[in-house]
Amino acid sequence: MEIKYGLISADSHAAFHRDDFTSRMSAEKWGERIPHVAEKREDGGRADGWSIYGLPPRGDVCNCPAVMGDPFPTWPKVWEEVPALAYDPKERLKALDGDRVDAEVLFPNPPGGSYYEYGDAEFELACVQAYNDVLADWRRASDRYLPLAALPYLSDPKIVAKEVERSVTNGHRGVNVAGKAPKGLPHIAAPHWYPLWDICQELNVPIHFHGSANLDTAASAKKWDGYSVRQAHSAATSTSAVTPAQIIPHFIFSGLTERFPRLKVVFAEAGIGGLNYVLAACDHEWETRRLWTEGLATRPSEAVRRQMYVNFWFEAEGIKLREAIGVDNLMWESDFPHVASYYPRSWHEIERVLQGVSAADRRKLLFQNALKVYDIEATVRRVEASSSSAAV
Amino acid sequence: MQLRYGLISVDDHVQEPPDLWTSRLSKSRWGERIPHLEHIDGGQRWIADGVTLLDSPARAAALMEDRNHEPKNWEEVSPAAYRPGDRLKAMDAAGVDYSVLYPTVAGAAGQNFARLKDPELELACVQAYNDWLIEEWAGASERFIPQCIVPIWPPEGAVAEIERAVAKGHRGVIFPAVPMDLRDVPHVAGPEYDPIWAACARLSVPLCLHAGASPKLQYQPYSGLAPALAQALDAVTKPVSSVFVLGLYLFSRVLLRHPKLRVVLAESALSWGMLYLEWADHQFDHDGLAREGYELTPSEMFRRQCYLNAWFDEIAPFEPYLGADHILWSTNFPLATSTWPQTQATIERCFHDVSPEKRDMVLWKNAASLYAL
Repeated sequence: MEIKYGLISADSHAAFHRDDFTSRMSAEKWGERIPHVAEKREDGGRADGWSIYGLPPRGDVCNCPAVMGDPFPTWPKVWEEVPALAYDPKERLKALDGDRVDAEVLFPNPPGGSYYEYGDAEFELACVQAYNDVLADWRRASDRYLPLAALPYLSDPKIVAKEVERSVTNGHRGVNVAGKAPKGLPHIAAPHWYPLWDICQELNVPIHFHGSANLDTAASAKKWDGYSVRQAHSAATSTSAVTPAQIIPHFIFSGLTERFPRLKVVFAEAGIGGLNYVLAACDHEWETRRLWTEGLATRPSEAVRRQMYVNFWFEAEGIKLREAIGVDNLMWESDFPHVASYYPRSWHEIERVLQGVSAADRRKLLFQNALKVYDIEATVRRVEASSSSAAV
Repeated sequence: MQLRYGLISVDDHVQEPPDLWTSRLSKSRWGERIPHLEHIDGGQRWIADGVTLLDSPARAAALMEDRNHEPKNWEEVSPAAYRPGDRLKAMDAAGVDYSVLYPTVAGAAGQNFARLKDPELELACVQAYNDWLIEEWAGASERFIPQCIVPIWPPEGAVAEIERAVAKGHRGVIFPAVPMDLRDVPHVAGPEYDPIWAACARLSVPLCLHAGASPKLQYQPYSGLAPALAQALDAVTKPVSSVFVLGLYLFSRVLLRHPKLRVVLAESALSWGMLYLEWADHQFDHDGLAREGYELTPSEMFRRQCYLNAWFDEIAPFEPYLGADHILWSTNFPLATSTWPQTQATIERCFHDVSPEKRDMVLWKNAASLYAL
């Protein structure tokens, strides 16, 4: 990969073409169950959504307000309104250049990468493979895309591991994981999932938890029918700040970081405060309770610094704590083309957030850490991650 | 108020003795439903009306030889957990002047009696606790700062008990932050609860939302985990679950509706606070909430009305943003997470680069003002 701008987004979202699944899954076998765009019955005109497993269409046809123009934020109602910039990997490179971003890690967009809720393991695997194949094609279109594989949770863990291996062979650079295992399956700390962690460690691809990571924690505290849509959005998204602090302790105290010391774990769109808290709180309990006597040989903060990463995008105050959190454990994220994205003015926001940060630290936060985490060889043509050259 | 050491601990726990409720509730009326200790599987548990209130006779691991194990039988519980005289000696040893008291069997967040199905039994248990704490602890020394628990529903019942308890000498109100997780009652953000918040403001007693009001606020441990590790895990996911509580009380306008209400997030820890508030403010801007009738941003509401409670966090990195006047200190005695017996050494580690004025604010001045000492 070539680094021209000095900026990698560790969290963006690949949008899907309406034919992405129908062109890859067997119509004979799956018919109407294949994820496809269909018209929702809605008051106030036509609206499209995704129909999956033969169920009525729901959700947005595409989540891409960052490329919809004014008034912001607007979501496309029907497929024809979705800009090619979102779903066409070649077109999208123009958006990357426009925002002066070298590369992006690809998380899901509707219809998403989770197909376990239909309780049909065979269907889930077929969808997951199609999903992973779509993103492998993105990677073939350009090495500036770093796709994350989806997982067939309902399959035998050996098949899960195999799908990870297949995806990584096809160009995927990580795995996106639900924070809480789907209903009926063992807890994420259970030995059931060891083959998954093992293959990710072996292939040196990080696992990822995004936003609230599907945790059902505090469902009643986050939701209240007295909130307006915007208030509900604020209340729900900002509390994703807890996600790293609810998940990392499981990796530490369940012995996963001891068992898989080279497994890398990334938290996207969950803020950076959770990591800061975990460092202090886990060490406190480890020391106070003398947990090395319980089989945890490694001081938790050492394991966290060695294996855990969090992404930032707006945290000007938080970045002041970068030394305490770990300058090597932070990566920039754009969230393109979602509502949190500052596209096409990402650098403008970066200048605000990174005020007073040394050039060496800026390079780490903006692209060098990502190159390391995703194990990418890059030619750094010009390092523009300094305030003078970036202010275009 | 008299200070010898310069420390008011705003979050410690009393251990209720085995006869607290059996000696105060009518045996003829309630029979076996009264909270009591039962022998089960080689250890003792607290049971009331078929509900397990606590799966051990006490939470006092800091006083055990190995703090990875709670006492299994009452005989193993150290008197410093349940006897005011022994507690005062422990406070002297740790250098604690005043101690703000939270329950154990009744639930650290005052949540356990809300889980009983019978509101009359709930009220009887709550009143017995509130009376006992005044008579046995507050009566033994003014260094103990008693706080009442309340029946969660109906609100007028909660208000009546708050008024009764405060008249008896209680200085704070412990309320389980998410009552709708405990019993079939309305969502706490709704106006139905306004009389409770108004009563706290009117009586000038802080509303204390202690971490751990509901297991649903935390990601629960894997069942195959060794108990010591599961407890350590719980001790880490619990304080930070206060993010959900703070977010709820900020965005739902409870604080805007009650500007004189002061809210203590007990056992919240500190290291997440500034970063959560920065996000809450960012989201508030990004979602345009200023146009939806909020007259303050989340961090402004926090700095007007809320307090975080630290016991192992460094203060210096967060104090400039949160405000030294909104951080409180505690020892969390006698829980496993307590800094006991290293309280003073921990304070030295956590307060480096903090000015003497701000150190005093966090260690005692804020608490003295909050509890009108």
